[in-house]
Amino acid sequence: MSLLELKSVVVRYGEVEAVDGISLVVEAGEVVTLLGSNGAGKSTTLRAISGLVKPASGDILFEGQSILGLRPEEIVRRGIAHVPEGRRVFPGLSVRENIMLGASNRSGLRKAQIRREADEMFDLFPDIRRFADALGWTLSGGQQQMVAVARGLMAKPRILLLDEPSLGLAPVIVQAVFAIIAEIRRRGTTVLLVEQNARMGLSVADRGYVLETGKLVLSGTPDQLWSNEEIRAAYLGGRTAAA
Amino acid sequence: MDLVLQLLFTGIGIGSVYALVALGFVLIFRATNVVNFAQGEFSMVAAFLMVVFSVKIGLPYWVAFIIALICMAGLGAVFNLAVYYPLRHRTYLPVIISTIGASIFIANTTLAIHGPEPEVLSGWFDTPGFMLGPVYFDNQYVLIIVVTALLVALQYWFFEHTLLGKKLQATSQDKEMAALLGIPVAVMIMITFVYSAVIGGIAGILVAPVLFVSIGMGATIALKAFAATIIGGFGEVTGAIIGGLALGVIETFGAAYISVPYKDGFAFLVLIAFLIFRPQGIFGERVAEKA
Ligand SMILES: Nc1ncnc2c1ncn2[C@@H]1O[C@H](COP(=O)(O)OP(=O)(O)O)[C@@H](O)[C@H]1O
Ligand SMILES: [Mg+2]
Repeated sequence: MSLLELKSVVVRYGEVEAVDGISLVVEAGEVVTLLGSNGAGKSTTLRAISGLVKPASGDILFEGQSILGLRPEEIVRRGIAHVPEGRRVFPGLSVRENIMLGASNRSGLRKAQIRREADEMFDLFPDIRRFADALGWTLSGGQQQMVAVARGLMAKPRILLLDEPSLGLAPVIVQAVFAIIAEIRRRGTTVLLVEQNARMGLSVADRGYVLETGKLVLSGTPDQLWSNEEIRAAYLGGRTAAA
Repeated sequence: MDLVLQLLFTGIGIGSVYALVALGFVLIFRATNVVNFAQGEFSMVAAFLMVVFSVKIGLPYWVAFIIALICMAGLGAVFNLAVYYPLRHRTYLPVIISTIGASIFIANTTLAIHGPEPEVLSGWFDTPGFMLGPVYFDNQYVLIIVVTALLVALQYWFFEHTLLGKKLQATSQDKEMAALLGIPVAVMIMITFVYSAVIGGIAGILVAPVLFVSIGMGATIALKAFAATIIGGFGEVTGAIIGGLALGVIETFGAAYISVPYKDGFAFLVLIAFLIFRPQGIFGERVAEKA
């Protein structure tokens, strides 16, 4: 039984088929990357998994059970944490408060316990420790990305969905963010990583899928994907790597 | 100078009522992005409930007060389920129209049940007031100011120091993200409506002995509180409080030094001036602009 399985998932926005029959699996302990250019349907796929949009057809199984039609609150309680595109750090709450709220899916925790865990999170994200009491909106994009990932990890998820964590960040910050993803992977958390930046995505992944206008066109190990000349030129070459 | 102090006291007293109702506006606005045009009716209904429980049935004042507030909590919950919840995925316009409709409905239901004649509600204290130096302290105004200060302090503590307060803030800042974290958004909004109905109710009961209890009192208070909210800025709790107090003081001084009949006019003069020259209010929408 796979940890997460999508079966022929279709998502429509009105007439637009943003996701057009995607099937994929993520096994426990894997880091899987979902690659594709802008508008390919990557975010929509993640939004379907976390319950923000309802698929028109198909099924989504988590630990063998369908999670289709569950509300986002219920899905994250089952262990799927979604760090959405654009980071979505609460602007008027402090960094520590943002991170603490990441534990909202786990019931029966005391505030002191959550606060302790949030402070431990700074061991993994030392760069944002000194901003613990700063409000979310005062942070740079890279710092906000770290807060968003830390907040996602506070859910103690079985699987972490990351949507373009490199988007809009300077190369050196992207390196820092991916170092953290590598560390998350080393600690054994399963990750489904959406990226336009194929080079970065494949650098941390066990396997990858390539998405094009709502359809999966290729899958394989990073080596297999790299060695496919055509694919490399179309998706993994200069065009997307530069994006 | 003595008159100035006296007017300041009265202005802050009446301004506290505006501030409480304005708080209801701001909390609901931040949670739902919509102005609740029925906020004033919460005050009106609570004042009538108080008349029923205290004057008509003859319960002790504080018992009547507590029962009235419990009823207000119920009204807030029903209001959320009937007026807001079915439209929560729509744009702001249907929701605003829905709250306007609810406002008309609540006012006319009260009219149908009770009739048009105004009622008198006595204050909490048997004695009218006391002199302290040159200033006469009306007991009811003292009560209004003290209760408002306590509520504001309690609310500040709640939002800043409890996890539930943080979850409410998160919900008001980004509902989708809050849901992704497992925060029960519908419950958070329910809490906001219940709390807003209760503080609106407290404001209505506190101000009732100063005014008459009438069907129209909701609209009057809501207009003032709305002006206070514009003055303070819609995004900020602090703004609602400062705006409410400022408005109370401005209209009290205006009535004393310029003209009594135009007392209500000053509020709207200030409101119009703010809409023209500083529509974001004194405090602006700092967070919203950045987000
Ligand atoms: N809320 C929406 N309403 C309508 N169309 C949308 C919406 N969100 C995304 N789309 C469309 O769906 C397609 C896939 O979008 P998205 O999943 O965001 O792609 P990606 O994340 O790969 O850039 C695009 O054509 C986009 O324009
Ligand atoms: Mg996207």
